[in-house]
Amino acid sequence: MSELQKTGLHGEHTTLKAKMAPFAGFDMPLQYSSVKEEIIAVRESAGVFDVSHMGEFFVEGEDAIKFVDFMLTNDFAGADIGKAVYSPLCRENGTIIDDLIAYKLEDKKVLICVNAANIEKDYSWLEKHVHRFNCSLSNRSHEYELLALQGPKSEAILKECGVFPQGEFPYYSAKEFDTPLGQIILARTGYTGEDGFEIFGGLKTIQTLWNKFMELEVTPCGLASRDVLRLEVAYPLYGHELSDDWTPLDAALAWTVKKDKESFMGKETLEDYKPKYRLIKLSLDKGIPREGFEVLNEQEETIGRITSGTMSVTLGKGIGLALVEKAKFPKDKVFKIKVRKNIMDAQFHAKAFVTGGHK
Amino acid sequence: MASEIPNNLKYTKDHEWALIENDVVTVGITDFAQSQLGDVVFVELPEVGTELNRGDSFGVVESIKSVSDLYSPVSGEVIEKNDDLEASPENCNSTPYESWMVKIKLSNNDGMDELMSAEDYSPLCEE
Repeated sequence: MSELQKTGLHGEHTTLKAKMAPFAGFDMPLQYSSVKEEIIAVRESAGVFDVSHMGEFFVEGEDAIKFVDFMLTNDFAGADIGKAVYSPLCRENGTIIDDLIAYKLEDKKVLICVNAANIEKDYSWLEKHVHRFNCSLSNRSHEYELLALQGPKSEAILKECGVFPQGEFPYYSAKEFDTPLGQIILARTGYTGEDGFEIFGGLKTIQTLWNKFMELEVTPCGLASRDVLRLEVAYPLYGHELSDDWTPLDAALAWTVKKDKESFMGKETLEDYKPKYRLIKLSLDKGIPREGFEVLNEQEETIGRITSGTMSVTLGKGIGLALVEKAKFPKDKVFKIKVRKNIMDAQFHAKAFVTGGHK
Repeated sequence: MASEIPNNLKYTKDHEWALIENDVVTVGITDFAQSQLGDVVFVELPEVGTELNRGDSFGVVESIKSVSDLYSPVSGEVIEKNDDLEASPENCNSTPYESWMVKIKLSNNDGMDELMSAEDYSPLCEE
């Protein structure tokens, strides 16, 4: 196995005695204090995640917006300059290569932030198609560190650090600007459901900012709490709810597939596609759903499986996302989960388990 | 922070402790085990009457993000389980040596020789 990559903040994590673990080829902080404390910090105050392992691509030139809009299933062309758009990236056959956020920084400059595990796959897919457009594509993942500052106190903390832009900066805004710490790209996005920001910048700038956050007693948070936080608000994770083997329409992402767009990659397939699966939210009063556990109907026939599961710290019970076969979706919404040897009654949730406070 | 390893108990390489009282062995997880797991949020234990062979998985202890099997260090019948841990799994973190999981009445001596003293177990707790 090749050696693990390190983010620019690796030294900071070891100083804080974080428990480290390999993730997508990087040696990443799993947790610092306790997963529980980190989750509570984000829901009630603020926490910061080093997510520098994620990939940053830039699309620049006359057709930058046109190209990105064509490659994504969601509507990117229609977004205002200074806005971010969440979208799947699909093949012609509608299967999902990755899910990502595209940031419309200028009318000829777009930042795309992708999952660390998919950097090469995404880049080669985009590269294969960019030549038909009048724009350039560059992978600048190694030049950028990325922090996610999440939680209700995030805005106040950024202001205290002097890195908050002038004027309005609502949810899913994005802006590149100079700060006393150096140039950054700031976006009001995140993966926790709370109000919060993602801050892209060079190593020195991001290191200084991280240290300022530590001085302000922002809780450092690892990938373990990040996963629980996203599950509580039922956000999908590539490799779990999303994969090369099915489409966004199978995974509760119909809202990100804008079939009325004139053309986009996968449109012909997705227009007439009948989903095979349905992504649902289940909880247990006793026990914790874990990835791979079977989901059963009232007659105890297997109809699907858990794609991600955890103990919800906020709710105090086990929660999970599950892909069930659409044809077998029970009208009575009675679901059971096979927890090792035992079959447990599960509750069906129409809405996310936790309502985050994002603005 | 060094783990607490009481001298009156025996230990396994799976980081379980065993208290031997005549032919009854009480089993729990060690201080080191709980510190490695982090916040324990769920404990699943076998029914009283379950027959266990040494090495059998008899339950699980779950942290927020992980599931770990519990292995029987000895062979025998489960004569008692600690129901309090279902309601208060966090006790495994705060008082690991009081948070026993099961009491096993020995059917033979399988595994008894392999239980380690505190002194022999202690090097396994170095990170």
